[in-house]
Amino acid sequence: MHTPSPLRLIPHAAPLLACAALACASFTARAQQPADLVFKNATVMTASHGTIEHGSVWVHAGKIAGVGATVSAPASATVIDATGLWLTPGIIDPHSHSALDNDVNEATSPVTPSMMMIDAFDNRDKALYQALAGGVTTELLLHGSANMIGGQAVVIKNKVGLDRDAMLFPNAPRSIKFASGENPKRVYGGRDQLPSTRMGNFEVMRQAFEDAKEYMAGWDAYNAKVAKNDSSAVSPKRDLKLEALADVLRGKIYVQIHCYRADEFLTEEAIAHEYGYKIRAFHHALEMYKVGAKIAPEQTAIATFADWWGYKDEAWDAIPWNAVMSMRQGVKVALKSDSNDHIRRLNQEAGKMVHYGGATEDEAIRMVTLNPAWIIGVDDRTGSIDVGKDADLVLWNHDPLSTYARAQKVYIDGDLFFDVSLPGLGTTHFSGVMDGDSESRDDGRNDEGEGQ
Amino acid sequence: MKKLLTLALLLLAAPLALLAADAPKKVIAITGGRLLTVSHGVIENGVLLLADGKIAAVGEAGKVKVPVGAEIVDARGLTVYPGLIDPETNFGLIEIASDQNSSDLAEPSDEIMPHMHVYDAFHSETELIPVARLNGITNAVVAPATDDTIAGQDIFIQLAGADRDAMILGRDVALAMNYGADQRRRGGRGGHSSFPSTRMGLITQLRQTLIDAQDYMAKRDAAAAKKDEKPEITKKDEGKKDDAKPETKKEEKPSKRDLKLEALIPYLKGERPVVIGVYEGYDVETIMGLAQEFHLKVILDHVTHSQQILDKIAAYKVPVIVGSIYDAPRGNERYDAVYTLPAELAKRGVKIAICSADGGGPVSSHSSRNLPYAAGFAVAYGLPYDEALKAITQNVADMFGFGDKLGSLDVGKTANVVLANGDPLDVRTDVKQVYIQGVAVPMVTRQTKLRDQYSK
Repeated sequence: MHTPSPLRLIPHAAPLLACAALACASFTARAQQPADLVFKNATVMTASHGTIEHGSVWVHAGKIAGVGATVSAPASATVIDATGLWLTPGIIDPHSHSALDNDVNEATSPVTPSMMMIDAFDNRDKALYQALAGGVTTELLLHGSANMIGGQAVVIKNKVGLDRDAMLFPNAPRSIKFASGENPKRVYGGRDQLPSTRMGNFEVMRQAFEDAKEYMAGWDAYNAKVAKNDSSAVSPKRDLKLEALADVLRGKIYVQIHCYRADEFLTEEAIAHEYGYKIRAFHHALEMYKVGAKIAPEQTAIATFADWWGYKDEAWDAIPWNAVMSMRQGVKVALKSDSNDHIRRLNQEAGKMVHYGGATEDEAIRMVTLNPAWIIGVDDRTGSIDVGKDADLVLWNHDPLSTYARAQKVYIDGDLFFDVSLPGLGTTHFSGVMDGDSESRDDGRNDEGEGQ
Repeated sequence: MKKLLTLALLLLAAPLALLAADAPKKVIAITGGRLLTVSHGVIENGVLLLADGKIAAVGEAGKVKVPVGAEIVDARGLTVYPGLIDPETNFGLIEIASDQNSSDLAEPSDEIMPHMHVYDAFHSETELIPVARLNGITNAVVAPATDDTIAGQDIFIQLAGADRDAMILGRDVALAMNYGADQRRRGGRGGHSSFPSTRMGLITQLRQTLIDAQDYMAKRDAAAAKKDEKPEITKKDEGKKDDAKPETKKEEKPSKRDLKLEALIPYLKGERPVVIGVYEGYDVETIMGLAQEFHLKVILDHVTHSQQILDKIAAYKVPVIVGSIYDAPRGNERYDAVYTLPAELAKRGVKIAICSADGGGPVSSHSSRNLPYAAGFAVAYGLPYDEALKAITQNVADMFGFGDKLGSLDVGKTANVVLANGDPLDVRTDVKQVYIQGVAVPMVTRQTKLRDQYSK
């Protein structure tokens, strides 16, 4: 009955056709973006240096060029009257499995560090659009938690409608996903394979790093010989799996670890010390409130839920005060979705932190902007409204920490990607039908430890 | 001197009175708060009197006389509202979601299980109840999970009480029915692959069941009518007995009770509501056709992907439980296609309730504490505030037969009252005190204990 629109095949077609109707000479989506853009009279929540009432933000060439009570933008700048509106940095989700079409776990071996998330990234998935409409501009797409070492993540900018490579966060640091606890236990224990216990969990990891150390030593010896022009130098075999782990030991990859229990944080830190790598963040980390003071000196952050609990044994001691209590103990705290549902309202999850533990609005907004940016390693480029940073911005009709806020406009690199006032989807770079209905209720849930 | 002594004695007696298991005789006066009455607007600087477990008075300060000796609760700066009611939970049917040993959610051995009574499984000591209560949820409907076409019968509970029976306010208050893709036995979660594996099968089976129940009801009624003419029957029976034919003998005996069919009778008579969980518009039309055929008293549940037939749903003149409001829209739909559903239904005059479920999965009562935020989110997407508050209080009470006892701040209603430091529908608001049947519930859960333990 529904004939697929030809627009579906050409994401850029809508602005293109609109332009054609106006007889534009040249047109790309980007060309429509003004060189200078000024938001005036907004409540500007900077995430880095407090809130500016009746503030202005100047965007020049995709970057933030000024922020304050006034800005010195050129007279030619396009002005957006933001009276009665709130402006925040784009929301950042440090733990998403969106747009991966269930290819999140290569659950055929507990150690698969060479699996590259980018190979599964489906940039047409509707979950990305729905997150965009919730103000999400950057996501860390992570492997699931079936494996002790799942693989390498991909960082995206949520530029819905652009092609796959244009959605990648340029030069973002590499991240690798580890996991311990119930999920790898269940997946491999269910097959009578190692690891079926936490003992097995951590032994599998130690063995993997022993292998990686040996591999790295082999290459170091070879490279030393080459440096001395030793003609007897024989190149060791390249092994993608060990190469990835060696890069962890070389400190070239951020380690993101899925784990829940207080004892596991201590074990994970001990193993990290033993092999000489650092843990960037514990994900879930629902019991961090128990040992935050011990973990804080390690400078390991957490990406946690606001208030999910009770879905399995290791989530039984979860309390909604975890985030704020851990923060008060000196741990850097981010909130994350791990869900195509919650990713659409992470701002509300941050709002709950005002309720559970009395976070200030500044602290709360940081949990879904600057702190997740730090976990991903892009906090020098996004996550706050500061001069020089990417103009990833969201304009809200209400206080974004309230239940009532709706994103009005979402900008990424200064380019408008979502505008609630537009008919249809509200997207500026896409029109047509999104992919991703395969995850409808008919299928049930993937329980290989994809999420949670 | 005498006066002082009496006062001292009174002060000493006060805490003891609160410890009594029964509703306290003492009057509690909640003064100075902003009262959201639900039934008759907002009263700034109001007074609410609680006595004998009920609301004894409600009104503006100065217009309500606070009796001498009443315990004064200073609610200045606080918002006071009736306890919230979650229209769809699994409280007491599961503890840890992944732990099958803790699950009494569903009996998937057959699709037609009206004789499953939630009260037989309800574990009133579940940790989930105090957690929800802490955020102002005081009552809830407990339903079985949705695996079956007819899953069983719901209970209506109060989230505090001396024991299980004190917490169950109503048994078999509604029949839990489901229709759609999830109920097909298609090698799904339960590992089934048998009839009915299509919607055709589901409906045929359901229609046959309801016809069987009608026949059963007719037979039973006929038998009861015969019983009234006792002398004749006795004569006949005696005559047949003389023949000593075993086959006829069987017929004479009162027919064996069929618990399954018997369970359906109150619903065929339209005495109690049938809650029909259904998502797709075309499924709504199919199941409503069947419901009308058998004159069922319907509460529609979910209607998540029924945007195209909202006018038709309004024309059914049945109440609707909307949710999860967080279910994802289709790939060709705007991001807010489901967020706007409560507003679109209310606009058409439909009486709505909102449930607490998270999106994309089965109901999880671990999230029941987020019920007010789902209602608030509906406000963000166009539902008038008053309607949103009703959708988690009075409307739910009305749908399940408790409208005269619960759901608003009105004289004579059960004193289920919440005090919070702001707008109840806002995620930032902290609930300060919950009263159930006029008793201040301890604001303690396993979670607050863990918080306090590690805050030292």
